[in-house]
Amino acid sequence: MLQARLRKSTIKRLLIALATGALALGLALGVRSAAAADPAPAITPNPPPLHPTFRLLDAAGDSVLESGLPVSTMTTCGACHDTTFIEQHSFHADLGLSDFSADGLTLAQPWDKSRGAFGKWDPLTYRYLTPSGAQRPDLTTAEWLLTRGSRAPGGGPATTARNGAPLLSLAPDATNPESALLDANGELVAWDWQKSGVMEMNCFLCHLDNPDTQARSAAIAAGQFGWANTATLLATGVVTQSEAGYGWQPSAFGADGELVAGVLRIQDPTNENCATCHGVVHSGKEPLTLAACDLDAAQTATTGQVIAGQRIADSGLNLQDKATLSRAWDIHAERELKCTDCHYALNNPIHAQEAASARPSHLVYDPRRLEIGEYLERPNHDFARGESAQYTIDAEHKGSMRRCESCHNAESSHSSWLPYTDRHLSVLACESCHVPQLYAPALSSVDWTVLDAQGDGLRDCRGIEGSSTITGLVTGFQPVLMQRTNVDGKTLLAPYNLISSWYWVYDDPSGASYPVRLLDLQAVYFQDGSVQEGAYAPEIVAAFDADGDGLLTESELRIDSDAKRDLVAGRLAALGLANPRIEGQVQPYSINHNVARGEWATRDCTTCHHADSLVTQPIKLAGSTPGGVIPTFVSDANVAASGAIQPGAGGALYYQPQPQNDGIYIFGRTRINWVDWFGALAFVGVLLAVSLHGGLRFWSSLRRPRHGGATKRVYMYQAYERFWHWLQTFTIILLLFTGLIIHRPDMFGIFSFPYVVTVHNVLAAILVVNAGLSLFWHLAGGEIKQYIPRPYGFFDQAIVQTKYYLAGIFRGDEHPFEKTRDRHLNPLQQITYFGILNVLLPLQIISGALMWGVQQWPQYAAALGGLPLLAPFHSLVAWLFAAFIVGHAYLTTTGHAPLSGIEAMVTGWEEVDAHAVVPGAVVAEGRPDAASDPVSGSAPETKPGLRPSNA
Amino acid sequence: MACVPANVLTDVAMQRKYLWIVGLVAIVLVIAVPVVIFRPGAKAVTAAKSSDPWAGVPTHATHTDHKDIVKGPFDSPQAVTQSCLECHPDAADQVMHTTHWTWESDPMTVTWRTEPVTIGKKNQINNFCIGIQGNWKKCTSCHTGYGWADANFDFAESSNVDCLACHADTATYAKADYGLPAEGIDLVAAAQSVRMPTRDNCGKCHFDGGGGNGVKHGDLDESLLFPSASLDVHMGEYNFLCTDCHKTENHEIKGKLLADNLVIAPVEQVACTDCHDAKLHADERINLHTDSVACQTCHIPATALKDPTKVAWDWSTAGQDLPEDHYTYLKIKGSFVYENNYQPTYQWFNGSADYRYLLGDTFDPSRPLDLNPPAGDIQDPNAKIFPFKIHVAKQPYDVQNKTLLQPVTAGEGGFWSEFDWNKSFELATQYTGLPYSGEYGFAETHMYWPTTHMVQEKEKALQCADCHGSEGRMDWQALGYPGDPVEWGGRFNK
Repeated sequence: MLQARLRKSTIKRLLIALATGALALGLALGVRSAAAADPAPAITPNPPPLHPTFRLLDAAGDSVLESGLPVSTMTTCGACHDTTFIEQHSFHADLGLSDFSADGLTLAQPWDKSRGAFGKWDPLTYRYLTPSGAQRPDLTTAEWLLTRGSRAPGGGPATTARNGAPLLSLAPDATNPESALLDANGELVAWDWQKSGVMEMNCFLCHLDNPDTQARSAAIAAGQFGWANTATLLATGVVTQSEAGYGWQPSAFGADGELVAGVLRIQDPTNENCATCHGVVHSGKEPLTLAACDLDAAQTATTGQVIAGQRIADSGLNLQDKATLSRAWDIHAERELKCTDCHYALNNPIHAQEAASARPSHLVYDPRRLEIGEYLERPNHDFARGESAQYTIDAEHKGSMRRCESCHNAESSHSSWLPYTDRHLSVLACESCHVPQLYAPALSSVDWTVLDAQGDGLRDCRGIEGSSTITGLVTGFQPVLMQRTNVDGKTLLAPYNLISSWYWVYDDPSGASYPVRLLDLQAVYFQDGSVQEGAYAPEIVAAFDADGDGLLTESELRIDSDAKRDLVAGRLAALGLANPRIEGQVQPYSINHNVARGEWATRDCTTCHHADSLVTQPIKLAGSTPGGVIPTFVSDANVAASGAIQPGAGGALYYQPQPQNDGIYIFGRTRINWVDWFGALAFVGVLLAVSLHGGLRFWSSLRRPRHGGATKRVYMYQAYERFWHWLQTFTIILLLFTGLIIHRPDMFGIFSFPYVVTVHNVLAAILVVNAGLSLFWHLAGGEIKQYIPRPYGFFDQAIVQTKYYLAGIFRGDEHPFEKTRDRHLNPLQQITYFGILNVLLPLQIISGALMWGVQQWPQYAAALGGLPLLAPFHSLVAWLFAAFIVGHAYLTTTGHAPLSGIEAMVTGWEEVDAHAVVPGAVVAEGRPDAASDPVSGSAPETKPGLRPSNA
Repeated sequence: MACVPANVLTDVAMQRKYLWIVGLVAIVLVIAVPVVIFRPGAKAVTAAKSSDPWAGVPTHATHTDHKDIVKGPFDSPQAVTQSCLECHPDAADQVMHTTHWTWESDPMTVTWRTEPVTIGKKNQINNFCIGIQGNWKKCTSCHTGYGWADANFDFAESSNVDCLACHADTATYAKADYGLPAEGIDLVAAAQSVRMPTRDNCGKCHFDGGGGNGVKHGDLDESLLFPSASLDVHMGEYNFLCTDCHKTENHEIKGKLLADNLVIAPVEQVACTDCHDAKLHADERINLHTDSVACQTCHIPATALKDPTKVAWDWSTAGQDLPEDHYTYLKIKGSFVYENNYQPTYQWFNGSADYRYLLGDTFDPSRPLDLNPPAGDIQDPNAKIFPFKIHVAKQPYDVQNKTLLQPVTAGEGGFWSEFDWNKSFELATQYTGLPYSGEYGFAETHMYWPTTHMVQEKEKALQCADCHGSEGRMDWQALGYPGDPVEWGGRFNK
């Protein structure tokens, strides 16, 4: 125990020191402690593998040690596991073979032949699989394996022909693209599968802790498909390679023919296993390095995602502001999650979970699981997967993976600080905030309309200045947010990288369209049609060499004029390609990894609720637009391409998201221009009108002597009336102000957005309560009558009042209607307040409540058009309220003296013109019940009518 | 009604005149109170952290300049002390009650002895220079006193207290044999330089403990004299002095050493939680660790970051005429191993020691002997996984008596001058009272040094994979777990 505690290296170094001393002295003194010399037992980092030893068998089921033939995984592993079942339930093996259709599926492109890598065209790798009978063959099955096989785990198209027959049964045939190969001259020559062998599904590649992927790739590239799985074992020492070929090592096998225990360590796939084909995975202390946009690590190249627990600051990349990036590349990798924890085998009894639709709603967990033995015999190798935008293969398993919310309780971690938590969680994928930035570069565009000196398309990267992640500057990039539709129909905003590609397309004689094959493109661009020399054809140089130095640089290699386009098109046509033209597509790539913890996630409201909203941030697609062709979004992604692709500064092409097209309304960002213009005009119009009116009043009052009419003081407003009025005044003004901030947070940067939203909501609640109480008060006390225009004579009175405002007031006429306690609203006021209080206010309360309710009851708002309709309406009514307040405040100055109306609303007492007799007016000197003034609450101390009057 | 007096009317009028203020206040309250109650983060504020670590960040006041106060001349170091005591009459008495002076604990009972014992440098041994008895000449150069030359040193003499060791500017003062000022020290200049102790003062003994820079601790060495922020966040970034954490009252300095104590109460120890909340991480997952993992475990990933620390010392090779090198071999001391960037060993620790080897204890020399094993195990709710430097030594023992031997080394006739082990052990019997059989061997001994300095910010703290997963540094089974707690669950996972 104590010995175990002692660190091995310490002992080692002590021993070295001891040994040195002892040697120098010729072992003169021999007092050496046995204890110190006894090395500590090594702690094995990996427990002994659970997997038992086994025999390595060839395809015939004989021991490879005896036959000397390549190992067959199907028979070797098939001795215990149902390898046929496994291969049949594995989209990794199938890769689209099972739905390959020579007629095409028309997914993203009309020339797509399947949903998987075997048949679906990928503009990043460009070359495409040729169906039989094609006039201009490109990739045959054999060449597909030669070029793509290192990223195919075997089985499926590596062993089986498109009609289901074994590849080994195909006779060499130069006319059959399944048993032929394109030679350098573009001619098909026969391919002998018997000689090359085929590539069975390679269990070792994912289940061995040290698969020799380099040796495997080399075997594949050499066309030794049959030996590829054997080559995977090279690093284990079970097999060796020499000039003569592969030789099985007898020392690795026991007397019974089984492998010696521990030689092959079979295990669950680790992240490193997955990384072989998928992307950059890194563990350990060594600083992480990667090559920018290297398609060998496809997931990283297309999205910038890196699976590593290391802190970004500790990586070896030359990253902008690197020292501050103390977050890990991926929180889940940091927390020791493995790829297979989420992307598990669908019948893995630990993880398997039926879809909600496939189990009774009362059942949360079905304990009837596969026995572990049953599972190990027939593990489903279709793995749980998410809702990726880019992979159409195995679409029926999309959404089978557990998502963030399967493990995380977002409510508990967000509700304490995120206003409208449910709303945010229902419209935003977690990744939208938790993957705010990618720190590795990713491809942005590929231009196959031209070829570089190596005969390759031109690739552009985003998130890096220069091309090296060490000598260049890595800046990372912000993904673009687009609306994804999940398989269950739910829509969410989620982050994506967009990769645009341009390429030449032609029509073959059957009328079908195909991308121009690389061979033909090289024939067009290079001298003698051969890329080997790297010399461009003279006509190409003449057209593209802008600086006339005889060399074509990458910046010159752009089809930016009709002349260049026509030249290339002409040369393509000369090869016999009909209707050559440039087309372009944009492929969204889902970003779901590189998740950051809360403190690194987007948590500032104004990141989205602002004029510069993240949701509407454009993303640069490419630095130029080859051939002037605006690319189109692929049609087979689950992403709403509702934004606009438009040219921007410097000839670059941008994608501008337009979330309003997806029915998304973002407070602080989205606005309907006409609503704001109309509302502002109404507001300013009223302001101008009252200014004019007030100016005229002032001017006219100067021109005539002061009209000394009789006045009297009237107790106009009871304390409660004054209270509710002013409370309403304050809340409405504050509501307008806070509403304006929410509407245009960019104009009021000093205010905290979430605070203002909360204040707005609280004010609204106060307003509703205040309105409700005052309605009750008015109803109970009969005061409501004041607001109800009397039908009889109403229009006459309204006309009289209008005339007064338009003319009489300037002449100093008396008010046509005396303002009294029981009738303090004139007919115009009555109709205005009737409108305001019974139409605008309820509308505003209802629309506001529905907007507030999108958190809890989104269905009600949705029934009324959702936020895109309710929110602009709410803004419009707010503008009208603002306009009303201006008019209302102005009209209060039209009383006896400019401030007497306001004074009355403050003190309750108003100086009014004393009229003789007014139609419909009740002359009153006060109210009989005024003594029980509710605010002063005191005993009757005075009769208002007794107050001294100015009259 | 008509007979209401006029003055009442006026009062009422006055009341009404100001009624609007009441109304205004009411309106403001009706609006403001709900806004305050419902403001965002209101819940979070109530759950705010209870402690403010910034309150612990020191501001160092300028100390009174003693240049014009201390006059001198002093004919002896004791005269300096007497001069100090004129104004600080209690100081020496306070110091004399501390272990900095006594070098031993109060008597305590231990399970494996019948008589009460004391533990301290004064009478016990470590696995560096082994023991001070008979070796006072060199060892007491770090004592806060003057002239401890033999067992008869007068611990009651207040003028022997060395004020300057801790209070003088180290540029003016240094100690030498028997704790006396080094040759050529200007006592007046030293005395005039006094101020609050700095890292230099403490470091003179604590950085160089065990006989040289970085020998003992690993997390305390001379690199902390001018520390960068990356060396230690407290001392480097915020210029903490030792006494900012080792709070001192009446010369009693907080903090106890595992090597010289057995049971240490939490209140006697300096803790991160003196300033920091125990659950201060924004990440709840990390907070869930703090019941079982000490702060130091993650925040001190390694020690000896700049200067190497001695991890092994083999006395058995001493006395030979081998090529000498400070880091590998010295004739007087034997062979060493130094390590840089030392990764600690992790053990359960509840703050106390399980055992302390006492002079005369017999042991089994066939197995390494833990001189001061930390107390605590996975069952102990007060124990946490804690980083230790384990110093491995081979030191002499009495083959027949099965006791560790304390040689006379620095003392007269000791090993360092005669290179005769037998003689050094025989000489020591008069000081230690231990018998010597005449037959010696060398046994492996381990000493545990809790790692608690060279604290790193969160950006440099350990990450999950440093302990968990296939490349983790923890030996989970040795700690008592069935396996990695990420997969097997933690100890409170019921």
